[in-house]
Amino acid sequence: MNQELLMKQIVEEVMKAMSGNSSITTKDDNCKLQKITADNYPLGDKMADNIFTPTGKKLSDMTLQQVLDGQLTAEDMRISPETLELQAQVAESVDRDALAANLRRAAELIAVPDDRLLEIYNALRPYRSTKEELYEIAEELEKTYGCSINATFVKEAAEVYSKRGRLRRD
Amino acid sequence: MALDEKILKNIIEDVLKEMNLDSIPKKESMTSISEAANPDSKLVVTEVGDVEKGTLPNEVVIGVAAAFGVHQTKTITGIPHDKVIKEIIAGIEEEGVKYRVVKVYRTSDVSFVAHDSAKISGSGIGIGIQSKGTTVIHQKDLFPLANLELFSQAPLIDLDTYRKIGKNAAKYAKGESPAPVPVKNDQMARPKYQAIAALLHIKETEHVDMNKKPQLLKVDFK
Amino acid sequence: MKKSKRFEVLANRPVNQDGFVTEWPEVGLIAMNSPFDPKPSIKIKDGKIVELDGKARAEFDMLDTYIADYAIKVENAEKVMSMDSLEIARKMCDINVPRKEILDLTLSMTPAKIVEVVGKMNVLEMMMAVTKMRARLIPSNQCHVTNVKDSFVQIAADAAEAALRGFDEQETTVGVARLAPFNAMGIFIGSQVGRPGILTQCAVEEATELIMGMRGFTTYAETVSVYGTEPVFMDGDDTPYSKTFLASCYASRGLKMRFTSGTGSEVQMGYAEGKSMLYLEARCLYVTKGAGVQGIQNGSVSCVGVPGGVPGGIRAILAENLIAMALDLECASSNDQTFTHSDLRRCARSLMQMVPGTDFICSGYSSTPNYDNMFAGSNWDAEDYDDWNIIQRDLKIDGGLQPVDEETVVAARNKAARVMQGLFRELGLPEVTDEEVECATYAHGSQDMPDRDQAADIKAIEEMMAKKITGVDFVKALNKAGFPDVADSIFKMLKQRIAGDYLHTSAIVDENFHVISAVNYPNNYRGPQTGYQISEDRWEQIKSIHNAVSPEDVK
Repeated sequence: MNQELLMKQIVEEVMKAMSGNSSITTKDDNCKLQKITADNYPLGDKMADNIFTPTGKKLSDMTLQQVLDGQLTAEDMRISPETLELQAQVAESVDRDALAANLRRAAELIAVPDDRLLEIYNALRPYRSTKEELYEIAEELEKTYGCSINATFVKEAAEVYSKRGRLRRD
Repeated sequence: MALDEKILKNIIEDVLKEMNLDSIPKKESMTSISEAANPDSKLVVTEVGDVEKGTLPNEVVIGVAAAFGVHQTKTITGIPHDKVIKEIIAGIEEEGVKYRVVKVYRTSDVSFVAHDSAKISGSGIGIGIQSKGTTVIHQKDLFPLANLELFSQAPLIDLDTYRKIGKNAAKYAKGESPAPVPVKNDQMARPKYQAIAALLHIKETEHVDMNKKPQLLKVDFK
Repeated sequence: MKKSKRFEVLANRPVNQDGFVTEWPEVGLIAMNSPFDPKPSIKIKDGKIVELDGKARAEFDMLDTYIADYAIKVENAEKVMSMDSLEIARKMCDINVPRKEILDLTLSMTPAKIVEVVGKMNVLEMMMAVTKMRARLIPSNQCHVTNVKDSFVQIAADAAEAALRGFDEQETTVGVARLAPFNAMGIFIGSQVGRPGILTQCAVEEATELIMGMRGFTTYAETVSVYGTEPVFMDGDDTPYSKTFLASCYASRGLKMRFTSGTGSEVQMGYAEGKSMLYLEARCLYVTKGAGVQGIQNGSVSCVGVPGGVPGGIRAILAENLIAMALDLECASSNDQTFTHSDLRRCARSLMQMVPGTDFICSGYSSTPNYDNMFAGSNWDAEDYDDWNIIQRDLKIDGGLQPVDEETVVAARNKAARVMQGLFRELGLPEVTDEEVECATYAHGSQDMPDRDQAADIKAIEEMMAKKITGVDFVKALNKAGFPDVADSIFKMLKQRIAGDYLHTSAIVDENFHVISAVNYPNNYRGPQTGYQISEDRWEQIKSIHNAVSPEDVK
């Protein structure tokens, strides 16, 4: 399944990013998929060496001076899919599964540019889109941005809107 | 928001290009002023049928909610609905701009009433009014629940404010950027009026018809 | 009839200026326990809910569908639903039953069931339950910072003062919608002058609010409203699906967010479908839970005049806060909007949350006099600061605030105003005059402030937003303007979104930029001497009011 594949990729990337941090690798050498928990939280304090921006900047290296020198821009002040996956694991460790699911949907949406994200949100509001348009958005989310969970979600919304008469009427 | 501001500006610029301002018959608007502004004239409103999307770039569409003037006849503070409309029209005409009045049936939400009116308006500027008096100035390219100016506290809107609302809407239609009508605030309006406002709104909503298109209202002064 | 003098005096009391209405259950004008509320029920087939509160899946509206698919843990649902509601209610206020055990029940219930459970409790029992069910160990408070002139200089000064007074979150809004970005800048930057780490938001239309968050004008969002019936949800221009997507949008940009709902909104907006206010609010809370949002602002909020006008309405407001907590959501528990002319009523209403403590006792204590409160007035305002502090001192409770001295406040207000002056100069925005700085330093409200040219400000905002100015530009400009400390605070607040720790339930940020949330500080209340205890230092702070006479002073 696509979702699982994606999750696997994310986890692998996360593990790559975390390599070498003893606090989150297990005593069992065989186990590579140690989950992050509330014990690692706040990650910004306890794992700052393992948190990277989508542009590859390490959180613990980022300083005010770099902003002033122009080395850090607005593009660097963003969360990465890997970090959101870690936060989703923290949420799961304290039994907040719905929150974890939201963070995983969000991890996918990082790839969608601000303006397009706003347009898609607006397209999901009542009476804005036809069923076909919502399905096109789902396909775009899936194909262009790799957002498979969100694509499924948008298709599901399209079906519910159709049933409830909340699609665009021209 | 700037995004919408920008769109708005572009549209207004286009509109200004399209319309030949000199062609607006000044005399005609002058006579209109006297009718709406005449304190003795009485306003008579008749529903005439479906409304067309406007082509005149110098008009403002006033949209009233479903119960307005028929099932309810005055605002939450007792201002008669015909006076409300008269003041808004007078404000619009003072600026030499035309108006149409429509009734929006598909929703009783003031923002949507205003937004629907803006979409009908040739200038893209609309005013929405609920029977209890809550009023919004809207522009067709804004988000429905955004606004140019919102007068959310109905008990604080007096006739002078309605006049200014009409005037400012007309200025937006002409592509100007007027200073917003001064905002009023009264923290005791809610304790006094909210439960009653809920009753009035429930009663207005009873007249909503999801499937009925906006209807043009013919306005006569007698 | 000859008139009684006693009745004449009573008729003139403030409470009798309030609007009251009798119940009208058929249209939903009833606080809770309506005869028309559905009876709790659930049926599960192949892991899917096929019946919810008396409705079969074929009859589901959009909210039923969403709640059935996302908001209820199905594994134990049938078992929990068969339990006696009275027994669950007793567990909820029993100190011997831990929070976790309650969540195992509540997260597997339907909206009608949870409403039935809290319907068995009186307000004292609900307060006991709130003490235990609140998500974060330490209670906190939030304020509104607005004014009728939309003066962002005054907003900055008021935000700085409010930060010193103890508010961990601050919210602004607008009189004129198009001025939102300046107000957002005023509260964000001003608050950091008072106390680094304050979270700020600007309440406007949903999409606009998201744009400001994305660009670093705000650090969290709250005005993301959900409603308990489908038609009202549509009038709110959203669906549970669009709102869920919006929630993920915020998290994808590393921004904290909570939804907003409250009893009375459906009846206020005309479509309550003949259900009680509390039942419809429960549906909002289940939508919130299903969306995976960390929290909610609820407690009727801006519709408080509606439950406030019917019998048992203030009890229903406490009940809705409790349901939010019982669904493991952060609860910013309202106490924010005026609902009465009576000082006695407004205090009684707030004690319900103030005594047990909630994640944010007020989700908008007005940090200005109420004439400047652009949420149409708060239940508490700047003129009540000393009353609030002394109530804390009287009851030995932590309502999140502390007394402050005038000199410190004046200095912080002045700095905040000067920071805005420097920032606007460096960003090439319309001038902030020395007169504005001086007025904001000493102002009580906008009556003490000069007018600004709003048309010019709107034009400048339009240009600024078109240029896509972001929080990073503020950092640079603040440093250039000679305020490197403020620049550093803004930078560190923007940095919060990279780690995302404050996306978790009930997160606030302390003065050293450490996140305090229900993850690292979970509420562990189990009766006397457990849970949050006021430390000696904190008690010293709370009790040190300037006008207490000490024995040494009396000669």
